[in-house]
Amino acid sequence: MPDENKPDVARWVDEGARAIGLTIAPEYRANVIVNVERSLAIVQPLLSVELDDDLTPLPVYRP
Amino acid sequence: MSDPLSKAATAADIARAVAGGAVKAGDVVDAALKRIAAAEPTVNAFTDIVAERATKRAAEIDAGKVKGPLAGVPFAVKNLFDIEGLPTRAGSKINNDGPKARRDGALVRRLEEAGAILVGGLNMGEYAYDFTGENAHYGPSRNPHDPTRMTGGSSGGSGAAVAAGEVPLALGSDTNGSIRVPSSLCGLFGLKPTYGRLSRAGSFPFVDAFDHLGPLARSAEDLALSFDAMQGWDPEDPVCTDRDIEPTVPTLHDGIDGLKIAIAGDYFARGGEPECFEAVATVAGALGATRTIVLPNAAAARAAAYVITAMEGGQLHLPRLRTRPQDFDPDTRERLMAGNLLPGSWYVKAQRFRRQYRAEVLKLFDEVDIVLAPATPCSAPRLGQVMMTIGGAELPVRANFGLFTQPISFIGLPVVAVPTRKPGAMPIGVQVIARPYGETAALRVAAFLEKQGICVSTPA
Repeated sequence: MPDENKPDVARWVDEGARAIGLTIAPEYRANVIVNVERSLAIVQPLLSVELDDDLTPLPVYRP
Repeated sequence: MSDPLSKAATAADIARAVAGGAVKAGDVVDAALKRIAAAEPTVNAFTDIVAERATKRAAEIDAGKVKGPLAGVPFAVKNLFDIEGLPTRAGSKINNDGPKARRDGALVRRLEEAGAILVGGLNMGEYAYDFTGENAHYGPSRNPHDPTRMTGGSSGGSGAAVAAGEVPLALGSDTNGSIRVPSSLCGLFGLKPTYGRLSRAGSFPFVDAFDHLGPLARSAEDLALSFDAMQGWDPEDPVCTDRDIEPTVPTLHDGIDGLKIAIAGDYFARGGEPECFEAVATVAGALGATRTIVLPNAAAARAAAYVITAMEGGQLHLPRLRTRPQDFDPDTRERLMAGNLLPGSWYVKAQRFRRQYRAEVLKLFDEVDIVLAPATPCSAPRLGQVMMTIGGAELPVRANFGLFTQPISFIGLPVVAVPTRKPGAMPIGVQVIARPYGETAALRVAAFLEKQGICVSTPA
């Protein structure tokens, strides 16, 4: 039974690539999907961290 | 002290011999060029050799026109450093079609001002998005200790050239571990300085948030000598620090008295093969370190480093992915494409988390001066190996070889990778991590371990 919470990564790749004007040749597509799926797995420890609202990124830009 | 014309000679050996008149810089360069010619068919470390330039420079040194702490020392640089008159390949075919550099990168100039002699550009993983040292365009760099195995990357040629004894000193870059990983796999000392400590001007970028440059060598003294020669503010790199130069050579042999040294536990004590933890235990034992500390949320730090890398690196290369996708290394292309498709909220959260993690880790350095951690989860995999078994789990090599290095470079801490090697085994390194701008302490520890015979680097 499909997991309704699991994103459709193939569609994500196709639509995301279209949105940024990146043509992904058919022979590259499967591996791009694998890499997005891998990123989705690796990012989980970060997504599970809760951050305070006042925690802004460290700036490196110096006007 | 080794024969300054032999492959075992360190940069310090050569500099002392040249300064004392025991050997000519020209003879040192000739010997290095001969070693390179002999070793290249096996190790494939170099993509460019600048023999004419090196010979001319050596003649200037022998004529007394250039003096300095590294006078007569041959060195080479990862080919993402600009070398005047050559395209800056950055491991790619695409950049090799681009314009030739009009002048040397900042660190090449600084080493040459100290008397060192550039002999060439070194192989690397394409656009530095690599932990293996493999390259579809130029062939893999091969580990001199076993040419069927990886050097590690992305500064693979830098690791191979120094481990093979072609040159005593090489420069690499380290965004997520690309100095520390080849140092570990090739049995070298490697220094990833504090973020912003050394100028990155005149080098091809990968991930601005994490890009560092630094040396690989066969002794702690060579790291210190070269690091000191390269320090100093550079207005051409916006993140380069304007702190005063802090020389590391004068205190290098001060020993470890007064340094509080701990072992990184939890995240850094799992997810690797036993050999990496044995290496940490060996080093910790020699240092008398028994305390274990926990870097909080290291898994999230690794995840954040991964996301920032994928997204910054992907975005940097988007124009080329649109126009010349067929000219990328297949092992790089689809990862860079994927990086362009990740949600922006991940990136922003990763940057916000970076601030929290930095604060938490810096608090630990109120209590300790040095933290020890594995450099790589295992010793060198075989060339072409895609998956590896770590702690019983099958994982992709490319995505996971930086498990222990990424949470450290994520917040820019200085690290010296020190080599260990058991008889009959391949080398494996340990990270000696210090607080920001604490290179002096990390190098003192490395020099101590070297003097004790615990961490020794010998050319293959």
